[in-house]
Amino acid sequence: MPDAHGFQLGPISETVITTWGIMAALFIVCRLSTRRLRMDPGPWQVALEGIVSTIEDAIAAVLPDRATQVMPFVGTLWIFIVLANLVGIVPGLSGPTGDLSLTTALAILVFLSVHWFGIRIHGLRSYLRHYLEPNPIVLPFHVISEISRTVALAVRLFGNIFSLEMAALLVLLVAGFLAPIPVLLLHIVEALVQAYIFGMLALIYIAGGIQSLEPKATREKE
Amino acid sequence: MQLDWLTFVLEIINFLILIWILQHFLYKPVLQTIARRKAVIEKKLADANTRQADAEALERKYRERLSEWEREKEKLRVQAIQEIEVDRARRMATLQQTLDEESEKRRAMEERRREEIRNRLKEEAATHGVRFTARLLARVATPALEARLAEMMLEDLAALPPDRSQAVRAAAQNAAQELKVTSAFPLSQPQRQAIIHAVREIIKKDIAAEFGEDRELMAGLRISLGPWVLHANLLDELKFFASAECHGA
Repeated sequence: MPDAHGFQLGPISETVITTWGIMAALFIVCRLSTRRLRMDPGPWQVALEGIVSTIEDAIAAVLPDRATQVMPFVGTLWIFIVLANLVGIVPGLSGPTGDLSLTTALAILVFLSVHWFGIRIHGLRSYLRHYLEPNPIVLPFHVISEISRTVALAVRLFGNIFSLEMAALLVLLVAGFLAPIPVLLLHIVEALVQAYIFGMLALIYIAGGIQSLEPKATREKE
Repeated sequence: MQLDWLTFVLEIINFLILIWILQHFLYKPVLQTIARRKAVIEKKLADANTRQADAEALERKYRERLSEWEREKEKLRVQAIQEIEVDRARRMATLQQTLDEESEKRRAMEERRREEIRNRLKEEAATHGVRFTARLLARVATPALEARLAEMMLEDLAALPPDRSQAVRAAAQNAAQELKVTSAFPLSQPQRQAIIHAVREIIKKDIAAEFGEDRELMAGLRISLGPWVLHANLLDELKFFASAECHGA
């Protein structure tokens, strides 16, 4: 289990330290990669531009008008969760996303970002009013929905990655050296899928918060 | 599976920092580069479109010019053909006129040549006729024939028209003139007297007469008084016939 063989730096858990490592690696790679961007790109720059363009296109497909605003948050979710999930492959390290604290933090950030973007775009009164529509009776259901989907978001990622690592550990214990490669492949696929699901759900929640008011705003404008 | 609040808070902070890092060191520069490249490509595309439009306009212009040239060429060609036709017609008319003139000239020359040939043939025919007739008459030319011819001449002198008689008298006015009588056969004295008498009747005065002989005459007489000559012999008659035949008399 991750915490069973992990390491700590005082009160700071392995999850945070691993996150710092990922952040440091991302900083270095991004700093070096984007220091001399050229109009005639090399292979590495093409890959980098491909990743960013793909993220932007995926966001624009859901939120065509707000892609630029939402991209830093959703894109960072995707990139960070992919890397955090894949860290578990490295021997001696456990994936930070197998820690409920991190997934809960991300889910809370998604929860807050939905309201942040909603309020920022439509204003506080207008945004809060949509919880009372079509009838104030539905307010508790809205609140329950917000809480439940946030909890689901946190628990889904944590459960999948935690269970994956547990299962891989059990398979390794039972099957010895025959299983690692299929388990690694499964780990990679699972890492990508879970990152995609988490980021896409966050995007859909944010889009839902923004677009639930837009038809009305459009009607009022007309 | 427990929630560590410190980790929770630090992860929130970490994630916000990570957003900032990626926004400043990944998304922003990469998107700016992509935007710059897109702008350059769009500018190139716009330039290319402008150039294409210019090229198409130029092509249209050249096509119009070409078609205009074609029309002008066709017009000039038609004009040139018309001018050539006119010039050809004019030259043909000139040539035809020249040919007609040449043909007329040749025809005239040919006509003249034929006329000359015909005349020559006539002359030759007359000459041959005279020769054959002379050969024939030479056999019948006798003193008797000559006497008959002398009689005929005397008859002609007696029946001479007044104007001719006047001309003979005018010729005889010159006293130096004498009457010359040439015959093929010797004339008898009565024949000589009859001739002198006939002449005297015409000129109304006496005149000396000289009688001679010339066998070329075949038969008959030739009387001359100054410029006046009276032929009554076969040789002169044949020559007269031949000449009359040749000249279509």
